[in-house]
Amino acid sequence: MSGLQGLMEGRVVLVTGAGAGVGRGVSAAFGSAGAIVGIGVRRPEAAEETAADVAAAGGTPVILRCDVTDAEQSAAAIAQLVADYGRLDAVVHNAVSGRSSEATDFENTTLEEWEDHSSVTVRATWRLAVQAYPHLQKTQGAYLLMSSPAGIEGSERAPFYSAVKAAQRGFVRALAREWGSDHIRVNSVAPLAISPALENMKILEPERVKRIEGLVPLGRLGDPETDIGPPSVFLCSDEARYVTGQTLVVSGGRFTSL
Amino acid sequence: MATSSRTLVITTGSGIGASVAKKLRDRGDAVIETDLSLDLADAHAVSRALRSLVGSGTVDRVVLAAIDPSAFRAAPITSLSEEDWDQAAEYPMRAAFVVLQQVHTVIADGGRVVLILPTVATTGVADLVPLCSAVEAIRVMAKAVARRWGARSITVNTIEVELGAFMLGDDVEGDAGGVGVPVVPVLGQPALPPGSAVDDVLGLIDMLAMPAAAAITGTLLVADRGTVMQP
Repeated sequence: MSGLQGLMEGRVVLVTGAGAGVGRGVSAAFGSAGAIVGIGVRRPEAAEETAADVAAAGGTPVILRCDVTDAEQSAAAIAQLVADYGRLDAVVHNAVSGRSSEATDFENTTLEEWEDHSSVTVRATWRLAVQAYPHLQKTQGAYLLMSSPAGIEGSERAPFYSAVKAAQRGFVRALAREWGSDHIRVNSVAPLAISPALENMKILEPERVKRIEGLVPLGRLGDPETDIGPPSVFLCSDEARYVTGQTLVVSGGRFTSL
Repeated sequence: MATSSRTLVITTGSGIGASVAKKLRDRGDAVIETDLSLDLADAHAVSRALRSLVGSGTVDRVVLAAIDPSAFRAAPITSLSEEDWDQAAEYPMRAAFVVLQQVHTVIADGGRVVLILPTVATTGVADLVPLCSAVEAIRVMAKAVARRWGARSITVNTIEVELGAFMLGDDVEGDAGGVGVPVVPVLGQPALPPGSAVDDVLGLIDMLAMPAAAAITGTLLVADRGTVMQP
């Protein structure tokens, strides 16, 4: 991860859903880049491993209670980072519904399930933007959304997850134009990466994981820290100062026609 | 090209959906339209309404243009209340889910579903963040549904038109319910000469209904006379 060294030195970043999976890996990558990393989680006790990763990588971890469906919690998390470190340079909204890995029976499900997805991925995307805006305006910072290839191609198994992740891409394009004059950049990453659900699948259904890996030209699923982390850090860093309104697909070549 | 197929048109009573419904009916198609007072995010109400309209049978085509153009008021996201955000962004997504779910119960095997949306999410439009979010969500929800319903040979496709055409339909002198038509950033003028967006959309709906189009599903067709030109 030496390529990230110093890229975010002294910068303050909030990562939501940072307790596991992509959020944990991306947090560690920001640590490698020298950032002060706000580790946003619903249960602070679930953030200890991420905090250790960030510290080991050379960053400064700050564990924050941040259930993004709770407006007061997300506002307080941002306020604490700004109060303690004087600035906010980037927000990475990675949190998803706890039901995001479940199949959705579209024809028979209810709005209650939709609300689970929408509250975390759609409403919180807007709310975090509004809450972070004055701080990002001061630092000419970045807002990065963790979208998904499913939000581009539409998944038969996960129509709600696909829709809310697509909403983020529409959001990115529009907000990039809206905030361009403030020099705040807005982008998204669509990763294909090992998640806790896939780790379980590796144990329970190794053949299924092999089939998935076989669809990836690079022959493996992405590592949250070493594959998804660096492009995420790049998009939030000064090196991407002229990049906004984009979705970067980081999938080992699995998705090429999007 | 009038057809004997039964077409269900779900609109909010203005804009492109209403204009398409009128033209379909004028040319002799069997068109049924939803009640304009229907809350499209109310699953029970939509279910009752569609069953009441369709009866015990099925429809062959569904045209869905269910985003209310009067919700397209341009405003920076920082000025929106939670209610504003919900109404402009999340309500259309909920409505799309509810309507598509209920459409599944009334459409015949081999039927054709066409959604009409504005092109705004392709380019992104400042001060229309909620609309752009909703449009992209609905477009990809349609793709997911196309994958799910393919086993019944039902196709689900999306036609996008430029924002003014979506909001006004054939009422080109209209004021879009008093909200005006926001400016969409595009590279230049349309490549093709001006024409009726409603006729352009009708042509694509007819094309998608042809037997030869049975293999087209989950796609996006942009009928904006060459304005955006998707990459």
